[in-house]
Amino acid sequence: MPTETDIITGDRKTDRGFQTPEVWAKITGKAIYGIDLKLPGMLYGKILRSPHPHARIMGVDLEQARRMPGVRAALAGDELSCKPFGMVYKDELPLAIDRVRYIGDEVAAVAAIDEKIALKALEAINVDYELLPAVFDTEEAMAPGAPQLHDQHPGNLAWQRELTRGNPEAAFKTADLVVEGSFSVPQVHAAYLEPICCVADYDPYGGLTLHTAVQSPDIVRELVADVLDLPVSKVRIIGPVMGGGFGGRVYGNLKVYIISSLLAIRCGRPVRMQLTRQEEFIAGRPMIAAKIRAKLALNQDGTILARAVDLITDNGAYSAQAPWVSKTLSERNDSVYRIPNIRTTVRLVCTNKVPTGQYRAYGNQVGNFAMESLLDMAAKKLGLDPLELRLKNCVKKGEVTVHGLRINSCALSDCLQAAADEIGWHKRKPGRGYGISAAIHAGGSLVFDKNMRGASAYARLEYDGRVTLFSGEQDYGQGTHATFILIAARALGIEPDQIIIYSRDTLTSPFSIGALAMRQTTIGGKAIQLAAEKLREKIAQTAAEMLGEPVVMEGGRVRSATGKTLELSEIAADYRFQTSGLSITGEGKYVPSESAYDDTGYGNIAVAYSFAAHTAEVEVDRETGEVKIIRIVAAHDSGRILNLISARGQVYGGVTQGLGYSCQEGYLFDGGRVLNDSLADYRIPTALDVPDIMPIFIEQDDPEGPFGAKGLGEIVMVPVLGAVANAVADALGIRVTDLPITAERVYQAIVEWECEQ
Amino acid sequence: MQKEQICFTLNGETIEVYTDPTISLLRLLRDELGLTGTKEGCGEGECGACTVILDGMAVNSCLVPAGKAKNRSVLTIESLAKGDKYHPLQEAFVEKGAVQCGFCSPGMIMSAYALLQESSEPTSIEIRTAISGNLCRCSGYKQIEEAVLSAAEKLKNRGESG
Ligand code: FES
Ligand code: FES
Repeated sequence: MPTETDIITGDRKTDRGFQTPEVWAKITGKAIYGIDLKLPGMLYGKILRSPHPHARIMGVDLEQARRMPGVRAALAGDELSCKPFGMVYKDELPLAIDRVRYIGDEVAAVAAIDEKIALKALEAINVDYELLPAVFDTEEAMAPGAPQLHDQHPGNLAWQRELTRGNPEAAFKTADLVVEGSFSVPQVHAAYLEPICCVADYDPYGGLTLHTAVQSPDIVRELVADVLDLPVSKVRIIGPVMGGGFGGRVYGNLKVYIISSLLAIRCGRPVRMQLTRQEEFIAGRPMIAAKIRAKLALNQDGTILARAVDLITDNGAYSAQAPWVSKTLSERNDSVYRIPNIRTTVRLVCTNKVPTGQYRAYGNQVGNFAMESLLDMAAKKLGLDPLELRLKNCVKKGEVTVHGLRINSCALSDCLQAAADEIGWHKRKPGRGYGISAAIHAGGSLVFDKNMRGASAYARLEYDGRVTLFSGEQDYGQGTHATFILIAARALGIEPDQIIIYSRDTLTSPFSIGALAMRQTTIGGKAIQLAAEKLREKIAQTAAEMLGEPVVMEGGRVRSATGKTLELSEIAADYRFQTSGLSITGEGKYVPSESAYDDTGYGNIAVAYSFAAHTAEVEVDRETGEVKIIRIVAAHDSGRILNLISARGQVYGGVTQGLGYSCQEGYLFDGGRVLNDSLADYRIPTALDVPDIMPIFIEQDDPEGPFGAKGLGEIVMVPVLGAVANAVADALGIRVTDLPITAERVYQAIVEWECEQ
Repeated sequence: MQKEQICFTLNGETIEVYTDPTISLLRLLRDELGLTGTKEGCGEGECGACTVILDGMAVNSCLVPAGKAKNRSVLTIESLAKGDKYHPLQEAFVEKGAVQCGFCSPGMIMSAYALLQESSEPTSIEIRTAISGNLCRCSGYKQIEEAVLSAAEKLKNRGESG
């Protein structure tokens, strides 16, 4: 049985568990999610998608669909005048105009009085296609004469990067040992349980309102306004409760928001559009697939000298954030260890497949799989213990990594030691395999937008003495809001149940970049802390004026030097009368100091860095290839843990997602067609797939994060992939280098190995 | 399809609806009766978010035609709390941190409810088997398992079942 005790070091009090009252709405069925929303007069929108991976559109005939009873609008791309859009490249249109580039590309859309009629109307649309040659493999796509996807990407190269730090060539020449490997990882889907849904509502006076849950509503708002050519102030996003995100819903599905808006504007009625699970798979935005060739140079004593990576990532038909994901994938792992020399090449290649997006940890986990596999290959050749090899090279507090990350707090070696001790690294059971893996993740990325690095928040004292927080940071179940309330409670010296938080409306919430880049606790939480401190100061000031003597605020009330007390409600009431109705508010703005990174991307890219080491214990059946994960120990340095109950939840959930990534998930294609486009065929872990998972938190305060805290939500899945791969290799003596490590793959590897012997 | 009169017991109350019997029970509950506590994660019987109890059995309501409810008893998540008194399963889900996004929670709780009707002292593996048709992408199931164990304990101490 798993033990309950998470090892926590450090002397500060950790809150064992706090949740926002919203949890009661969730477990009684009262919480309103995106799919639950209905507005009066609401129409149902549906999208007609391309059945071809690459084709020219010769014509779209909407007449028959438009004439059907119950159909209120039918749209095709050529009659819209929308600007192309995209996060990195403007390579997408709401509806295709002359060309479709993957099976699932949006071609036409309808709105009807019910879903059935909308689906019938799609059948009545005639599209005349002229098929074009398509390309599905990244290497073939780069070859001369390959079909080209975008004029702006000659040779199908959507992005490339060449990077050298130090002198890798010399290091590889003089090293005692060079290990090399090729690794591959397929597209995976974030598979949030609630499909994306949006209700778009337009009126010429108020503008456009989108009722939809996204991780970055403010960014989506600006993008939608830009594409539809509306003033930003006329676009409002109101978020219902969100049924999971995990990075897959950072921008949600922009096409859905834009197309439902276009239909709502056309019809003058609200339009609801919900993706089917199949649409989620074929036209949602899975994490990019990667082929990695990597090598590592070491000295006999295990000192790492250099690392080289040649990465090819599969962009699919459109780019979204694929260049940024590719960059993180290619280099974040370099900062786990002291590696002085680096050589990296990245090619992001367009293919006629599903466009890609991002997923929790932004590619860091994929790089981890390759890097940590290589380390174990090296340890084996050098006759070193994989744990010792890692302890010898891992970064420490006070160091600056090869890419310029400034490590101001770091308990990585403690994490390695704790994860190893807990799994029984030196007391191995016979017949089992053991693997270890380490990770760093940027907590609070500063590079998303150089000008918008921080976060802001307001705290308002209500007339009844309670406090409301306004934040732009979204909570889709990861516990951010509970953590924010705890931070504010600490700063104000009041009980958490006296505080509520509101974040779901772009009209009232301060601007935020969104729930991404593991920035919420570190950056968003810091803004909350500052807002609460400001509010505390203003409350004290008002009270001091009321009493005419200096005061302190403690235990939820204010006390003067002579022992007079005031309740917060009394202070709020006085302020209201003095100001004819205003409330005392505190504004918090956290502006991290300028991140100085150069054109090569060298520099400090985040406010703080979180660390983790995971160990895996597995059993492999040599007859069938079946891998049984017995146990995962997940040791984390996320600074001080502010809310243990949700921190544990993040570890269990994130490790489970990592196990899915390692052993069972991944897109299967036939040409450009996704074969496993349902939850029956794309299998995410069930309750029976999950082993014993043991979270360990090594608490050391970070100097910058709120009350010493750092981010946790993304790094939880990073080391899983490497730890599992290494444990399987340890059990078998044979290494599987392609994810997922399924029974078939393992069996295949065993057969191949036996043939070679 | 022709609409017809269907009479059944919903959350302890006998009701009569006039509906197309071929639509799913999930659609009937959500779209026509306004009970949106039961969720739809796939509509294909693969996620368990739509789990309700039909004559004591946990079923995926997206796969059950509405007509099949005729003269039978349906329990949804909306029935569990009595006024402001939550069901021990609901209390335990909150206490153990078993709810993250919460989208799977109604279905998960209904599956656990059916289990606790059958067995008052379920083992971990029985719990995991009972909820194996309920996908949760957030939690890793650990705290859900803890919650069901704790709810079973609470019910036993109160001398109740379900
Ligand atoms: S909605 Fe019924 S099983 Fe997914
Ligand atoms: S809590 Fe989100 S799917 Fe289970």
